[in-house]
Amino acid sequence: MTYREKLLEKYSAKVYKNRKEHILQMDGAEESNSITANTRALPGVMTARGCCYAGCKGVVVGPLKDVCVITHGPVGCGFYSWATRRNKAKPDEHTDKNFVPYCFSTDMQEADIVFGGEKKLEKAIDEAMELFDPKCIMICSTCPIGLIGDDVQAVARRAEAKYGITAIGFSCEGYKGVSQSGGHHIANNGLMRYVIGTGDKPPRTSFSVNILGEYNIGGDGWEEERILKRCGIEVINMFTGDASYESLKSAHLAHLNLVMCHRSINYIAEMMKTKYGMDWLKVNFIGVGATCKSLREIAKYFNNPELTARVEEVIADELAAIYDDMEYYKSRLTGKTAGIFSGGSRSHHYQVLLEDLGIKTVIAGYEFAHRDDYEGRDIIPQIKNDADNRNIESITVSADERFYREIYTEDEIAALKSGKDGIELDTYDGMIPFMKAGDVVVDDYNHFETDELIKRMKPDIFLSGIKDKYSIQKAGVSSRQIHSYDYSGPYSGFRGSVNFGRDITMALYTNAWSLVTPPWKHEPMLVGTIGGEK
Amino acid sequence: MSANLVNLNVNPCKMCMPMGAVSALCGIKSCMSILHGSQGCATYIRRHMATHYNEPVDIASSSLTEEGTVFGGEANLLKGLRNLIDLYAPEAIGVCTTCLAETIGEDVGAIVKKFYEQNPGTGVKIIHVAAPGYGGTQNEGWFAAIRAVLEQTEQSTAPNGKINVITPMISPADTRWLKDLLTRAGMDFILLPDLSDNLDGVTEKRYNRLKTGGTSLSDIVKMAGARLTVEFSEFTDEKTSPAAYLYETYRVPYVKLPLPVGVRGMDQLLTTLEDAGGAVTVDMIKARGRYLDAMVDSHKYCAKARAAVFGEPDFVTAVIRLCCENGILPLLAATGSVSPRLKELLNAEFEDYKDFYPAEEMAILDDSDFDEIERYCRQFGVNLLIGSSDGRRIAHKLDIPLIRCAFPIHDYVGGQRVRMLGFEGSLNLLDQAANCMLEKTETGFRGVLYDRFFKTRPAPPADIHAKTASHPCFGEHACKNARVHLPVAPKCNIQCNYCLRNFDCMNESRPGVASKILTPAEALERYMKLKESMPNLTVVGIAGPGDALANFEETRETLRLIREYDADITFCIATNGLMLPMYVPELKKLGVSHVTVTVNAVDPSVGAKIYQHINYMGKMYTGTEGASILLANQLAGIKMLADADIMCKVNCVALKGINDRHIFEVTKQAAALGAFMTNIMPHIPVRGSSFEALDRMTNMEIKAIREVCGINIKQMAHCRQCRSDAAGTLDEDISIHLREKPAPKTRPYKRFAVATKSGAIVDIHFGHAKEFYIFESDGEDTRFVETRKVSRYCNGLECGDKEDRWESVIGAVADCEAVLALRIGLVPEKRLKENGIDAIATYERVETAVTLAARERSVMNGIA
Repeated sequence: MTYREKLLEKYSAKVYKNRKEHILQMDGAEESNSITANTRALPGVMTARGCCYAGCKGVVVGPLKDVCVITHGPVGCGFYSWATRRNKAKPDEHTDKNFVPYCFSTDMQEADIVFGGEKKLEKAIDEAMELFDPKCIMICSTCPIGLIGDDVQAVARRAEAKYGITAIGFSCEGYKGVSQSGGHHIANNGLMRYVIGTGDKPPRTSFSVNILGEYNIGGDGWEEERILKRCGIEVINMFTGDASYESLKSAHLAHLNLVMCHRSINYIAEMMKTKYGMDWLKVNFIGVGATCKSLREIAKYFNNPELTARVEEVIADELAAIYDDMEYYKSRLTGKTAGIFSGGSRSHHYQVLLEDLGIKTVIAGYEFAHRDDYEGRDIIPQIKNDADNRNIESITVSADERFYREIYTEDEIAALKSGKDGIELDTYDGMIPFMKAGDVVVDDYNHFETDELIKRMKPDIFLSGIKDKYSIQKAGVSSRQIHSYDYSGPYSGFRGSVNFGRDITMALYTNAWSLVTPPWKHEPMLVGTIGGEK
Repeated sequence: MSANLVNLNVNPCKMCMPMGAVSALCGIKSCMSILHGSQGCATYIRRHMATHYNEPVDIASSSLTEEGTVFGGEANLLKGLRNLIDLYAPEAIGVCTTCLAETIGEDVGAIVKKFYEQNPGTGVKIIHVAAPGYGGTQNEGWFAAIRAVLEQTEQSTAPNGKINVITPMISPADTRWLKDLLTRAGMDFILLPDLSDNLDGVTEKRYNRLKTGGTSLSDIVKMAGARLTVEFSEFTDEKTSPAAYLYETYRVPYVKLPLPVGVRGMDQLLTTLEDAGGAVTVDMIKARGRYLDAMVDSHKYCAKARAAVFGEPDFVTAVIRLCCENGILPLLAATGSVSPRLKELLNAEFEDYKDFYPAEEMAILDDSDFDEIERYCRQFGVNLLIGSSDGRRIAHKLDIPLIRCAFPIHDYVGGQRVRMLGFEGSLNLLDQAANCMLEKTETGFRGVLYDRFFKTRPAPPADIHAKTASHPCFGEHACKNARVHLPVAPKCNIQCNYCLRNFDCMNESRPGVASKILTPAEALERYMKLKESMPNLTVVGIAGPGDALANFEETRETLRLIREYDADITFCIATNGLMLPMYVPELKKLGVSHVTVTVNAVDPSVGAKIYQHINYMGKMYTGTEGASILLANQLAGIKMLADADIMCKVNCVALKGINDRHIFEVTKQAAALGAFMTNIMPHIPVRGSSFEALDRMTNMEIKAIREVCGINIKQMAHCRQCRSDAAGTLDEDISIHLREKPAPKTRPYKRFAVATKSGAIVDIHFGHAKEFYIFESDGEDTRFVETRKVSRYCNGLECGDKEDRWESVIGAVADCEAVLALRIGLVPEKRLKENGIDAIATYERVETAVTLAARERSVMNGIA
């Protein structure tokens, strides 16, 4: 029996029917590797998924450092999403406004639920203006808001009129969609509608980029920015790590969009292509090889001999600087196996870095990915839109009269993409093509599946989140939090790869593991209870 | 919520009801819980608890989607219960509602009933808890869950001689201690809930998804037959207290105790146990003695502590009492819950202390948030924080130690092992508090203490306080007194990146600017002349335009001449401090009673960013080397001034992004060395200086820095950053009239009104200008005419309504071609236009802006 069959065997008929579509074991054949994703989680099975609010506030808009993000609802949601994602930010040089360490909540009480909370929200905005004087306020709705009929968009419009600021209401009630993913989409729509394109600060150089889907966890974005800067490439914005409303406004004036986490931000990439003619390039700065590849693709896109030469120089220099460290860690790690469960793109990205270190990924899964994240962007036309997804608004944009510009013609783009050295413009591969025969792929993984797979496949290290961390460790396997890096990082770029190598080596070789088995042999042969005692 | 702000919670000091409910359910044997609502609730709470306890925390969700909100969540919950049983085989399941389930009005009781009907013979006890997120905090959720467990289990009333013990949320380690104590006292007890194993588990060969610790259902059903319930909470009432429920329903008598913290808390518990037939053992008595011994040992250090305690009401009450027993001054007790009872309970404790420390302000806050707690910490000068790790932001901002001993602890490990109950736990807390104080003492500079208390010093001059009081800068109410800066010191021995010394600038008003350098003889002449017309002239200062001590010959001669003429006038000099140690004795001899030293950094690496170079003893130094020499001399100089009883003010130029976060350290050092006050001022971005592009800090930012630094040392708040040849009162500089007038030109001069606070840059909003500087210019030559005060028409509240004030503004600028301001509102702009006055919004140097405006107008009018 395969691992997959053993895993599914434990389920009841109903659950089996559902889960079998979400779990694959690679058989080496190319066609059959299709998976079901982005559908409702089963109740009661301890899914790792979060809610729509978490995707909108927690992931996409929360990191905007000069925006006062007010959670409209009872106090819990704001509290739990307060400074939990390690999206690092430093205030911009000419302002001291950094709201990332803050949590703003309307702290609704029973009476507000009964009589409506719009008035309270309006007063909260007045107080926020008085205390913090932000240029932009975003309101994120929690579950009760939609149910009691508070109109956060209307409140936002009134705040705009009253204070001359930008105010955006997000109807990202927790129950919308099937996971965080719906919240990403809602946040993308809001940024596209009200922020991007409202500024006019041009880039300083002729090679400027936005890094979409980079949340600067543990300083990842700063390492990427460091490398790009060395190459002579200007980073206008990260979306949305260490980002500000102020600079996001002029995002459309950059030359190229780089896409890191496509799951959370591809909507913006796609809409900016339609509206402003900006191309987007799928990049991956996780892993040494992946970083080199991404840098070269960027150079290829800009097609400038000086830039290309500089990129090669930087790559050579950076590789030389990390060579000794990487070789050492590789010598300790080659032959190890890993499992990765993450949100919607890291399980793919990190496989490359693990491979750099000689580690094979045997289990991989996503919390809230869509089929294209597994199977590649080409699968999108085949994805059926179900009721849950239709509840999340899709907005249509058209070419902007003032700012639309194309750097390349369609033919030139086709030429750039074609051939063996073609670059990943406007597309991406999924995770599945990376997996080898026998490897297991799980969508919307849960506690039971994680535990069973660890017991059966015994990977040396498991990269996952805080909810799984302790059960993985109790099962005797090293764990690394791949959402927040256990307070470490950065893991991206060249220096990040060394950090990662060090952290994994330390995890696998700590003496703690060797002491788990006690030296004495006094364990009872049988465990039982004495009659009558429960 | 804050005292005056009641709608926006900034940094909450509380969590929600479902969090507390599922926490309590973690303490029941073989029990899983499921949150009926969106997935996010379960996920957020799982990750939140896992981070604190460093343990797996598995809470299921009924995963309601939009469809569920329309058609109800019954189907999801039924499926969820089935799956949970299939996967985990628990003996009990707690179903907690959430905001969503409560808002759509789910009848969970009915759904559970339906589940039993559809699934006969599961043998699983399902308990449902109403826990809307808006219904209260985690504390209410905790007790609601315990009560629901008691209400929904079939109790056996047969007397069993046991005692029930019910706790609020305490750590697993404290729970273990409590169980051990009860066992040692010989009690037969049922503890509900019991988190000790489930949230502080062991590493063993096999990992069990279903946890095995906790209070078993078979014990829980015996609680109605117990002979006594002990409930460790002073905040539950008849409606919420589990003990009260057992009494109301089954007549089990109960005692409510505070958390067993400190001597009184523990004595109450031991007495109660003894009354209930338990034994107070020799070990317990020894533990008490050991704790008392430690209290005596550490009271000397604890007496320095000024504590703020925040968290759940029972925790706060217990810790405040411990503080009081140990001489830790309890300044602030705060909880996020709505709990008027906190005040009732703690008032007595605080009153005792008020007799002891009559001048101290103290506060008890409920329904509070960290924003409010922070404000009180600043106001009261708190130096010790006790609570959850959410206080870390305040700890970091105000440089106060934080003892992390309440849920949640997210930045340290060991949340599950917090010990604060019993004599041993109290001792742990007490030691930490004492050590926090010792840490400060040990790193303090003992030499300073020695000098302060033991060194014999000559008595300070008798008139020093009178002189300070009448000094327009040092004194607080001396703004009517005038001073004159005599520009006799042109050279400077350091180059600051923000400074450009322009001797002959026409209309700039800022340090480093003077119209003309005077010789000592000329300086005396100016002084004599001024003194005649200005009877309120009390201070002669030398403030450059270079450095007073880099031109010591001129400084000495000037002061000597004036002293011969006037024996009483106060002498004040300003210096960068580089040559200070060399000249302090001579300054003393010359009768200098006040010195201002500009110290922008007390860390050479920060200094290196500010000082381009220094010229010391004829040699140039740059970078950290230069900054180190300067710093050493500044600090030594300030100390020497203090020892010589010369009042020292330390000026600090706030440079955004360079030293603005470092100023706190500067003021701390200044205070430690005996400076009298500090003056933190925003830098003026001068065109041509290295920092010309650096933004000027806003008044609000400066005010905030001053507020924080006020903890360290007295702050000057009325600085006008005046010129090196300023004369008059701070608000009315007449130096401009002392200058020789340039020859009149033939081009037509136009008048312009400028809204400026600094006098250097057009830096304020039109509506906020209290006065306008009137200039005239022909497009080349620009000169200052006068200042005109206007009553402010814009008070920031009802712009446009004040018609009469309005007119006075227009009147004040009626003869001007244009008004220059940082910003001008649409309405006033229109009104100005109607009166034929242009409005120009700019952020430029005053002189440049006026010249440009004049030139543009000449072009428009075809004159150029």
